[in-house]
Amino acid sequence: MGPAARTIISLGVGGLVTAVIIGSTLVTSSVAQDNPPGVSAPQVLLSRQLLREADVRVGDLVTVAADADGSRGVSFRVVGVYEPTPDPRKFSAQRLEARLHLPDLMALTEEAADPASADAVSAINLALVDRGNADGVGAAIARRVPGTRVASTEPSADPNDLFVVLDRFHWAIAIVTVTGSTAFLLALMVMRAEQRRDIIGILRLMGVSSRSILFEVLLEGLLIAVAGALFGVLLAVASQGAINRFFQWRFDTTLVFVRVTAAIAWKAVAFAVPLGVAAGLAASWTLLRRSVVSLVGR
Amino acid sequence: MTSRALAWRTAAAEPARAALAIAGVAVIGALLFDMLMLSQGLLVSFREMLDTSGYDVRVVASDVFPARVDLTNASEVAADIARLPEVRQVTIVRTDRAVVLVPGRAPTDVALLNLSPGAERQGWRIVDGADLGALGPQESAAPAVISRQLSRALGLSPGSPLPLRALASGAASALPIVGFTVVGIADFQFENDGPYVLATTFEAFQRARASVSSDTADVILVASRPSIDASATVAAIAGRRRDVHAFSNEQIVERFNENGFAYFRQISFVLSTITLGFAFLLVATLLTVAVNQRLGQVAALRALGVSRRRIASTLVWESALLVGTGGLLSLPLGWILALGLDRILRDMPNIPDALHFFVFEPRLALWHLALLAATGLAAAVYPVWVATRLPIAATLRFETVS
Repeated sequence: MGPAARTIISLGVGGLVTAVIIGSTLVTSSVAQDNPPGVSAPQVLLSRQLLREADVRVGDLVTVAADADGSRGVSFRVVGVYEPTPDPRKFSAQRLEARLHLPDLMALTEEAADPASADAVSAINLALVDRGNADGVGAAIARRVPGTRVASTEPSADPNDLFVVLDRFHWAIAIVTVTGSTAFLLALMVMRAEQRRDIIGILRLMGVSSRSILFEVLLEGLLIAVAGALFGVLLAVASQGAINRFFQWRFDTTLVFVRVTAAIAWKAVAFAVPLGVAAGLAASWTLLRRSVVSLVGR
Repeated sequence: MTSRALAWRTAAAEPARAALAIAGVAVIGALLFDMLMLSQGLLVSFREMLDTSGYDVRVVASDVFPARVDLTNASEVAADIARLPEVRQVTIVRTDRAVVLVPGRAPTDVALLNLSPGAERQGWRIVDGADLGALGPQESAAPAVISRQLSRALGLSPGSPLPLRALASGAASALPIVGFTVVGIADFQFENDGPYVLATTFEAFQRARASVSSDTADVILVASRPSIDASATVAAIAGRRRDVHAFSNEQIVERFNENGFAYFRQISFVLSTITLGFAFLLVATLLTVAVNQRLGQVAALRALGVSRRRIASTLVWESALLVGTGGLLSLPLGWILALGLDRILRDMPNIPDALHFFVFEPRLALWHLALLAATGLAAAVYPVWVATRLPIAATLRFETVS
């Protein structure tokens, strides 16, 4: 093995420990040169990204130190590799992380000058008996342990929450896109209606009422709009895999960026179909209001 | 009649169709313009924000900046840096989280801020009341200059009492409440931790944190002398202090560009591509359908001796009319849209007042028009091919018979 390489990583606890407590201490790791004789090294799991970045293999010994200068380092045996839980807040960050057993982490990060450091954690994850009572539990914890911050994993209703804001942003963009495409659709429908001016004129001469023609246009528009909307949904479903694979490759993550759910598909159809029908009707209405003579060009 | 005039007459003959096509291009073009502004907006805005603060170098404890790691012995480090010949000014920035407990109001999270004396003018601009140093120690032992937003939210004005409890992060204990007095209301330069900011003196800051010995800071801001480049100051600091890390504004922007702004860069790239594709489809379809509708007219013109080149030129002009007019309209429309989208995104937590997502740059308008022009040209290719390859006799016969 070559000279020791130093990589800044973030360190956590997991695996065999019952309570999953994620730490966020910054540590320095260096690949160790030798096995400590007669001592079985404690175990560590490295993230897939860290394993590749540090050029380490499962079974190697690595030295992990909580101090930036690498002092007070401890040798660990790499016993496995794991995929970090995808986190949309960290999707662009390189996930150089390691997980070790809680006693090992405490021993590593404990500071002699601060006795409380041996029992300090960054966060505690809770599984509630009643998931709907997150606010009540949060308030109870805040009363009992002042200074703590309690956050539910449920989607936030706070209008200033990051993902709520992004959702509003995406909606605004969708509305602009739909507005542009409606103008496009109307222009096409107007042209199409113009193309059929003669036919509509002949039908009117034959005695077919405007209402019947309008109904036929409505049905035709409905069919085209439904087919178009379904094609759009199918295109989105078919392309979501490629989009996800591209961004997962680009950001080296397993995060899912695009997911076409039934609710989203229904929303798209609910937007597209009425718009398509309305555009067809509006375009045809301009023709039906004209006199039969002008329609047949006399 | 020139090709341009012929194209104009063709468009004017179908005003509804032309207006709808222009409206479609304008809306889609506005979105494209916004995405171009978004692609660099945060970076440009962030760079401007850093540059206008008056400091060109940031000194922090760790090279994993912007992760927050306490810089210890801040006063000693700052004094050492201030002795460098490259340095004009040094400011220590200390921040912490606190809760303001005004009777009758909900507890409000604020960012507690302390700047080393003399830097107040660059940190905030007083809009009402006095600055921190204006009152004697007997008048207010814990003076507070608060942000306009905090003043509005809690109905505070100069002279108002302001009970505050600092949050002891990582410790399961509550610090005692300290009674502050609002001495001034200000617009803050530093709003990285949200719009509710409270600045105070070092003594009051330490009292709120129940700390007398700790001399930590978040960052030390350094202003180089006018003739000195920031990179030279960074090198000088690195040579003098091995225990800290210095970054120029340019380096910080580069680092944020690598990680922090990836989402908006990606979404702007994806949406720019989609909008360009959409504009292409819109114009190409409209022109193709229009050409198909007047095949007889085109064949008649060819039969009269109008060259293929002139027919092609007419169609390109028609495309240019639609895309050009729509593109020009899309600039003001995009600007208005950008204001709305920027307002939506600035609702995100901890976005400083000076930071914007959509920032106009003249070169972006040129890029936008160039992209639309290229799209218009590309969209005209197929209809031009159809019109110029038309079999004249067969088309005329078919048009006459049908």
